[in-house]
This record gives sequence, C-alpha cells and structure tokens, in this order.
Amino acid sequence: MATLTPVLQEEAIAELISERVSNVPLLPHVVTRLLGIMGRNDHSLTDVVKIVENDLGLASRILRVANSAAFSPRQGISSLQQGILHLGEKMVAGIAIGSCTANIFNRELIGYESSSGELWDHCLRTAIAAREITASCSRRVSTDLAFTGGLLHDVGKAIIDEFLNKRTQILTAMCDKGEGGDFLDAERDSIGIDHADVGFALARHWNLPPQLAAVIKFHHRPVEADPAQQELVYLVHLGDILAMLGGTGTGADTLSYKIDEGYQRYFQLGKDGLPILLLKIEEEFTRAKSAVFAE
Amino acid sequence: MGIIYVGVGELAASRSPGDVVKILALGSCVGVIMLAPQQKIVGLLHVALPDSSINAKRGIEKPGTFADTGIPQLLNELKKMGHLRGKLTVKLAGGASIMDPNNTFNIGKRNILAIKKILWKFGLGAIAEDLGGNYCRTLSVDVDSGLVTISSPGRGTWPL
Ligand SMILES: [Fe+2]
Ligand SMILES: [Fe+2]
Repeated sequence: MATLTPVLQEEAIAELISERVSNVPLLPHVVTRLLGIMGRNDHSLTDVVKIVENDLGLASRILRVANSAAFSPRQGISSLQQGILHLGEKMVAGIAIGSCTANIFNRELIGYESSSGELWDHCLRTAIAAREITASCSRRVSTDLAFTGGLLHDVGKAIIDEFLNKRTQILTAMCDKGEGGDFLDAERDSIGIDHADVGFALARHWNLPPQLAAVIKFHHRPVEADPAQQELVYLVHLGDILAMLGGTGTGADTLSYKIDEGYQRYFQLGKDGLPILLLKIEEEFTRAKSAVFAE
Repeated sequence: MGIIYVGVGELAASRSPGDVVKILALGSCVGVIMLAPQQKIVGLLHVALPDSSINAKRGIEKPGTFADTGIPQLLNELKKMGHLRGKLTVKLAGGASIMDPNNTFNIGKRNILAIKKILWKFGLGAIAEDLGGNYCRTLSVDVDSGLVTISSPGRGTWPL
C-alpha cells in the first residue's frame, strides 16, 4: 500500500510521540485535586464542594447542568452543594475533565476514521458503563473511580492518531485476519507503540493518581495490571466493551479487541445481567450527553 | 425528502423517492430492513436486545428496542404506509461482537437468533445478511432504488 508520508522508524515515532505528550497542557489545579480526592474512599461531599467553589467557571457550569431538563430537578438548584448532590460526584468529574480537555477529546481521529466528538462520546459511554457495572457488581471499587477511569481510558488515541494516519486499512486487515490479534496488537506491530502506552505517558505527564494511570495502561490487558488495581481495570475493560457493543466507539477499532474473562474472578454479570446493563447504559448515556452538551 | 436517521430502538418507513433511511454505527444491534418492491416502500428497524421480558415498560414505550416487540411494529408501519399485500424482502445487518472465543458477551448473536425466530413466525426470512464480525457498521437504504449499502470505518463500503 502506498503511503504519502515517508515511513518513520519506530524510534523516530516514539520520540515524536513523547514530544507531543510533553507539549500537552497540564491539567488545571482544580481537576488534579478533584481526581486526587475521588481516588480516596474517605472523602466527603464537603471536600468536593470546597475544591469546586474555587473555580467559578466550573461551579457555574455544574449549576447549569444540574438545572438542565435532562436532570430534571424538582425545584431550582441554587447551591453548589445541592448541585453536586443532584448530579453525583461522577458527573462533576466528567464536567471538570470535559471542560479543560475539550481540545484533546474532541479531536477528529483521522487514523481511526473517527469524526470529531466520537472519542469523547466513547469515553463518556465507557465511564457510564463502568459506573453501572461497578454499582451492580462490585463492592470494593468506588463508582467515582470507575467513572473517571472510563472517561480517561482512551486519551492516548488523541496523540497516537497522527501516526496511524494512512495505515488504517492495514490495521483493520490485521484484526480481520482471524489470527487472534486485536487492534492493540496491530498498533504495536505497525508503529511499535499502542494507544494504551501513549495514554500512560500522558497520565504521567498529568500526574494522575496511580489507579487511573493503571486503567489507561492496562484497559485492554487487565490481567497484566498490578493485583491491587486489577478489579478497577477489569471494570473499565468491560465498560469499554459495553460502550462499543452499543455502537459508541471511535471508528475503525470499534469491537476489534479481545475480552479478558478474568473479570469473573472479581464479579459476575448473571444471565440477564448483560441486556439489563446495556439498556440502562443506553438510557443514562443519552441523558448525560444531552445535559452536558446541550449548551 | 432527505436522510432519516433511525436511532437505537426506533423504526421508520418511507415511500418518498429521494429519501435515504440510515442507521449509524451498529455494534451488537441489528438493523432489520424490509422492502416492498411493488409499492416502493422501505422500512428499517434498529433492534438493541432480543427480548422485552427484561423491561416490559420499555417494550411498550419504545417497541423497536427489542426483537419481539420491534418486528410486529415494523410490519404495522409498513401496512400504514400502504403495504397491504405483495412481496416483502427482508435483509439483516449488524449483530457484531467483541473478540470473544467463549461467546459469553455475544449479545449480537442472541439478537440475530431472536430476530430470525420472530421473522419465521410471520413467514418471513432474510434473503441477504451481513452479520457478526468484530467491527461496527453504518447502514443506508435508498428508498427510490431499494439499494442497501453498508460501510465500516477502515473497511470501506459494500452493497447488501
Ligand atoms: Fe482502548
Ligand atoms: Fe475504549
């Protein structure tokens, strides 16, 4: 297949990718602090309110979403505390991440043949799915972490995409050969690095808490994660799969991944569990999407 | 005249030449296409799950969600559009899955089986299908010509 750009050596690609990562703006302080406390089980609502009230833009955005039709409050919500309670802390993290990383998550992914907005939709749906699975199956993982892990899991695609451009058909052909290799293997075979590793580099650049960094690095290979973080990684692994089954992916790689059944060591979905979850995720996703992006 | 998008759990029928009826990004969902060539009517249903018994309320509010409630509803819609008798051509697309050798997550396959069973009850069967695989599909049906086209990112476009 003809390529328009000269084929770069793997080392050269690795170098360019780390340059791109180091040029990504750091997360605003308010977001780093929010992610930091959500990783701890002992935080209180007051902690979240204290962080958010320091950021006027974020605070007013939260109030706007809480009062939107999709979240249909019984009466007008005027205090930040009420707003956060009504939306749930997960949505607050989502709004915070979404508002400061829009230029990353809204990129058109040319190498994945995915249009602008699809990466964010996929991540939001994965976050909702991971939260729903956690709520119904797992007692040990906080739903906040599962949600934020889902939001961030594929962030590496925004950076790696540039280097997959013009290789899309080669990548999909590798997945469709039926030899068991998935899109992650194809990325690695093709350019020497995959979107999970690129995302991990970005997680370190952003100083994300270790659990979230592990989610990003291992979401397609949860068995390789540190046992202490494995359950969370499996929850996002399944959330990702349920989002793709629902048709919300990022183009060429959608569904071209292996499932790791090791999740059964941590939780069970049950016979009707899967359809019930898929339906719930569909409804929650539609609601969240219309609320956060109706502005 | 224009593009009619059929979202999850929705269905649509058209007999306006120039209309294109479309489903974007089918994952494990299945698109059921019904064509009445004599009357030039096209019907399209976007099924998400096999059976309404998991949520009867949703089956009433949005019958297209489930195979068992969606197919009768689509047939009704075609009747309303003017298909009272004559040939009905059925085509199916979608029902993809993740790479899952043990089929534990194969909701796509369960959708396909449920749809075929219900079609059979109405004496119908698909004459063309593009099902399964580990990729998503976008589906368009041209009302004028009855041509069905499938596309998938990174995999091109092909007729069904
Ligand atoms: Fe991924
Ligand atoms: Fe993903």
